[in-house]
Amino acid sequence: MEQRLASTWRMTVNERKFVETALASDLRVDGRRPFDYRRLTIKFGREDGSSEVQLGQTHVIGFVTSQLVQPYRDRPNEGILSIFTEFSPMADPSFEAGRPGESAIELGRVVDRGLRESRAVDMESLCVVAGKSVWSIRVDLHILDNGGNLIDAANIAALAALSTFRRPECTLGGENGQDIIVHDPEVMEPLTLIIHHLPIAVTFAFFSEGNIMVIDPTHKEEVVMGGRMTATVNSNGDVCAVQKAGGEGVTPNMIMQCLRIASMKAADITSKIKNAVETYNTERTLRKVKRHSLTVTHQVSVPDVIMKDKQADNIIGHQEEMIQHEPDRSSNCDDEMTVDTKTCIKTESNIRDRCTDPFVGGPSNWDPYLNKLSSNLVGKSQDLLGPLTISKEQEDESKSNIMAVKYSPEHATISSNSDTLGVSGPRQQTSDAKSLKDAVKSKARKKSKTSTSTS
Amino acid sequence: MGAMTVDRADGRSANQLRPLACSRNILHRAHGSARWSQGDTIVLAAVYGPKAGTKKGENPEKASIEVIWKPKTGQIGKLEKEYEMILKRTLQSVCLMTIHPNTTTSIIVQVFGDDGALLPCAINASCAALVDAGIPLKHLAVAICCGLTEGGSVILDPTRAEEQKIQAFAYLVFPNSPLSVLPSAPSAEDDAPIENGIITSVTHGVMPVVEYFNCLERGRAACAKISEFHRRSLESQVPVVARKQTFEVLWWPHTLTAWPEFHGFACNLSEADVLTVACCCMDMPRT
Repeated sequence: MEQRLASTWRMTVNERKFVETALASDLRVDGRRPFDYRRLTIKFGREDGSSEVQLGQTHVIGFVTSQLVQPYRDRPNEGILSIFTEFSPMADPSFEAGRPGESAIELGRVVDRGLRESRAVDMESLCVVAGKSVWSIRVDLHILDNGGNLIDAANIAALAALSTFRRPECTLGGENGQDIIVHDPEVMEPLTLIIHHLPIAVTFAFFSEGNIMVIDPTHKEEVVMGGRMTATVNSNGDVCAVQKAGGEGVTPNMIMQCLRIASMKAADITSKIKNAVETYNTERTLRKVKRHSLTVTHQVSVPDVIMKDKQADNIIGHQEEMIQHEPDRSSNCDDEMTVDTKTCIKTESNIRDRCTDPFVGGPSNWDPYLNKLSSNLVGKSQDLLGPLTISKEQEDESKSNIMAVKYSPEHATISSNSDTLGVSGPRQQTSDAKSLKDAVKSKARKKSKTSTSTS
Repeated sequence: MGAMTVDRADGRSANQLRPLACSRNILHRAHGSARWSQGDTIVLAAVYGPKAGTKKGENPEKASIEVIWKPKTGQIGKLEKEYEMILKRTLQSVCLMTIHPNTTTSIIVQVFGDDGALLPCAINASCAALVDAGIPLKHLAVAICCGLTEGGSVILDPTRAEEQKIQAFAYLVFPNSPLSVLPSAPSAEDDAPIENGIITSVTHGVMPVVEYFNCLERGRAACAKISEFHRRSLESQVPVVARKQTFEVLWWPHTLTAWPEFHGFACNLSEADVLTVACCCMDMPRT
């Protein structure tokens, strides 16, 4: 996009003065204390190696993929780790698509240095055939929402994604024992990466000539700050990387203080990441072993997801229906939700401010041509060319039932009981029956009005 | 023409859609955002409201739309460019292009997961994000994917594995079904072009003409369901006061305008302006 199209947001003088004056009295604009982190939420997607991190208003997602490549010449028995950062234009109106800007490159380099130079990920275990074939791990970080302190959030997203990533198992085989066979994940369980430690990046912002220091700056504080420093430390107390690129000068005492604070925060964040990863791993094993048990557990935890809204009733109804009507696939679609519910409690206050409840609809209800009556369809006409004639026949059959388009009143009553799969059968039939008649009636209405044949 | 019962890997019937979920207002910086998921295909769309200026090749007399498609991993290639183009043209037919001339509305689509029917999911997400941003629209575009198996039966909303196996599939986009609030129905001529119109159709593979029309029928019925879901999910998050005013706008059934809340350009429109906009819609020739 051309320069004149980019909407540059400029901070007003008043805002700037306000932030600075508040900091002088140890107050931050969002009410935190100077050394407090914002709320951190770590979620995982369905696949292995996909993570979603929210640090306050900053939103970052990470994806890890792998493929077999030739190793570098000077490191024939080590795998390859590459990190790609995308500053998506949705994060900030000033981010442009295309070439990454300097802050994007800096972020990528800081995360990369923390992981690679500190040997957090074991590279030698990624070697398959020395000198010929090694695993190349690619980490893609997408910044979705710029609320400040992108480096920390992106680092956590990368670590979370790497911790849950699994690479396929491969063995040597073939005639001469030189061919590499990559096994399907269904056949042989994929392997996790060996991660020795978790290097956590902690960012500090300096104001008023290096006298005031705060941790985890928000977007507005970043505009006002005089200098920034990122310290990557792990929970053992090792300093993996320090990045201070220009900005205001800071006394060495201040730097030492920063490093001490950073190691405390690193321990905190490491435990959060480890808890989230463990939860994900237990969900994953449950998903692989038993598929039906999740439906029961999920019905119990559904109320957690629903917040204080009145419309929650409808949403509960829809969610429960979705669960009941899809016993096989509940494991598929509910996994993300079950992991979410565990961490969703943390996001309660977010939801109070913004209505971010996902609106979920029942899948099997929306069957334009019903299961129950489809057997009639088969009986009456094998000819798929005439769906119009078929629907007219059905309309004759179902004329007696008058039904409303709205699902909510019926479903609110359904949601009042928490049911097992056994009861879901008849309910499925009745709600399916409604959906078919609804579809048929509306189609018939349209056809009678327009009286045109579209096929 | 083959058996009606089709065995699908996840146990769905031929006409069953995957569970839909839509959440709006997810991002803080973007003017509008929506996350739409159909089963495991999850797409996040963000909208930045009208910015001044248009690109070089665009007509400055009209508003223009810019689409940026971000895949999950990898470089942007030709497939992403094609999706961008299709999405842009689809949304151009949905947005009111003459209200804010010489402006650019940006829509950024981020793919979270791809398990089949990616483009329809993105179109649905983009429409929800446009509504969340308060961009005036003529109607919503509702998209569905219809596949044609070897047996000649039409399946709706195939997963990625199914897409690779079947003979042909089509992404179809229809306008959403209008909701008439008046007791008397609007005239038939006004209804016909909108209701039977197809906004976009992208096919892959070879299918006979007859089967294509079959897909259209099924697709339209399914889109009626999806547009119902869409409407409910939008209504559930609109505050009660605003709903009263949107009632007046919905009096012209072909206009669906989200009540502008606190985002970007549209927030300064008074009620009179919105009604004027709706009147203009009615006079515009329907394509």
